[in-house]
Amino acid sequence: MNTFVFQSPTKVCFGEYLSATAFEVAKDMGAERPLIITDKFLVASGILEPLLNGVRDGGVEPIIFSDVPPDSDVESVNRAAQFGLEQACDAIIAVGGGSVMDTAKAANICLSLGGDLLDYQGLNNIEDPLRPLVAIPTTAGTGSEVSFVAMIKDSAEHRKLVFGSRHLAPNVAILDPVLLISLPPKLTAATGLDALTHGLEALVATVTNSAVSDALAIESARLIFEYLPRATSNGDDMEARSATLVASTMAGIAFSNSGVGIIHALAHATGARFNTHHGITNAVYLPHGMRFNLEYSNAIYGRAARALGFSSSMDDNEASEALVKAVERLLKEVGLPTELKQLGVPEMNEEELQEWVNLVVEDPAIIFNPREASVEDIIGIYKRAY
Amino acid sequence: MPFFSSTEEVQKIMEALWYEIREHQEIALPLLQSKLIVQFHYREPEGRLTVDCSDGQNMLIIWGEYDKKPIVEMFMKADVAHQFWLGNVNVPVYLISGRIVAKGPVNRALALLPVVKPAFKIYPNIFEDTLNRPLVSA
Ligand SMILES: NC(=O)c1ccc[n+]([C@@H]2O[C@H](COP(=O)([O-])OP(=O)(O)OC[C@H]3O[C@@H](n4cnc5c(N)ncnc54)[C@H](O)[C@@H]3O)[C@@H](O)[C@H]2O)c1
Ligand SMILES: [Fe+2]
Repeated sequence: MNTFVFQSPTKVCFGEYLSATAFEVAKDMGAERPLIITDKFLVASGILEPLLNGVRDGGVEPIIFSDVPPDSDVESVNRAAQFGLEQACDAIIAVGGGSVMDTAKAANICLSLGGDLLDYQGLNNIEDPLRPLVAIPTTAGTGSEVSFVAMIKDSAEHRKLVFGSRHLAPNVAILDPVLLISLPPKLTAATGLDALTHGLEALVATVTNSAVSDALAIESARLIFEYLPRATSNGDDMEARSATLVASTMAGIAFSNSGVGIIHALAHATGARFNTHHGITNAVYLPHGMRFNLEYSNAIYGRAARALGFSSSMDDNEASEALVKAVERLLKEVGLPTELKQLGVPEMNEEELQEWVNLVVEDPAIIFNPREASVEDIIGIYKRAY
Repeated sequence: MPFFSSTEEVQKIMEALWYEIREHQEIALPLLQSKLIVQFHYREPEGRLTVDCSDGQNMLIIWGEYDKKPIVEMFMKADVAHQFWLGNVNVPVYLISGRIVAKGPVNRALALLPVVKPAFKIYPNIFEDTLNRPLVSA
């Protein structure tokens, strides 16, 4: 067995209407003036009311920063941190999708340690604990509520900057499925596929994975295959919302310990260049990336296919092909696009393609991929996915 | 016990290695094209080496203080560096477990990992020639 390290510092609490306890949870960690980071849509939708009432019940008027765009950038992070400093905030409650949670994680660096965000870019580069952070996901996808990373866009350079440290992991994740009822079908499907990609990539990150993270990845995939179609077709289905939410957190813990791979590298580069949604982009690349890795991952994918009931064949090639087919069926069932051009990705000329390939090659996710990918391989996958 | 007995030993080895790398076109060229300034911080024993490719033409190799701001910095035990050049360090594992710290746009440096792999073949000779002691007894 490989040597491995597994850690998950985040306390995970699940329950309907549990977001109302966020202030208490922050207070238990010594906070008196938590900054609530969210987005404008969520504020307007009213779904934050139980949470905000919880803060008011604690005798504090909520301090809210809601100027977070999808795929947050350095400027938004700096604005959030500045606002938190002005308001003398001593903790953060992040409530939103991956963009909000990543913004909160990055803003927490500046709020806690001061200085310029860009100085903290890198891996394992933050040495001290940050202010308490409570993360409350309103999408079931990114796993950012338990992960050690934040990906923040450098808008000028069209690339994602990586911040990775165990100190970035939120202290507490509150999983409240009620918050997801308003998530529209397309985003439900897209974020669910992000979570599935986390699990399926973590599973085959063979140098870093472990039986511990594999167990999380496989069970999370089972929940997504079973419940994502229901959550997508009927947003009020609490059982399906709950299952997919828990699944995304499990996949988040798995990939935080094992890494993701080429599918995420492709999705990050495509998203940074063409502003496509992270989950939808992963969904398009997922079957192609799996097929690319098959030769190296067929034993694990075969085992997963049997565990998930997609194949009873002991032939790993046959069984792993059944897993890829199941992914393709799921994509159809939840109504997601299967081609990059459907996402509005324009055709690239040779020079643009080269530049884009560099983004893929430079993406940290790619070092965890079981199969090394040449420039030609990457272009090949891109063309097949186009 | 640390593998290198002194900062001088680390300096001798790492300088000799990088001088050799500079002569190998297949490794040096992509590094120069990256225009990166990478600074390695070693501990146990302490040391600092900067590889400056910023002008795209000449690779500068500087031990100790350097006045230009590095683009990427890597922090590790000197033992980790030694094992890395022997080809024994699984970088993803070391990154996930926190044994290598990378500061700056690490993605640009990580993308060069495949490029420096041929140096794994050079390192054992450098080591034995420079320190006059065999690798195996260490
Ligand atoms: N840190 C990590 O571990 C990690 C992992 C994967 C992805 N990410 C990042 O996460 C981001 C994507 O996050 P996402 O997929 O959650 O989308 P998102 O956070 O960008 O949100 C997308 C849209 O959904 C809306 N929304 C969110 N919750 C809603 C709800 N309950 N009801 C109605 N609308 C709602 C938001 O207002 C927004 O307009 C990307 O930037 C990606 O890079 C981070
Ligand atoms: Fe993701």
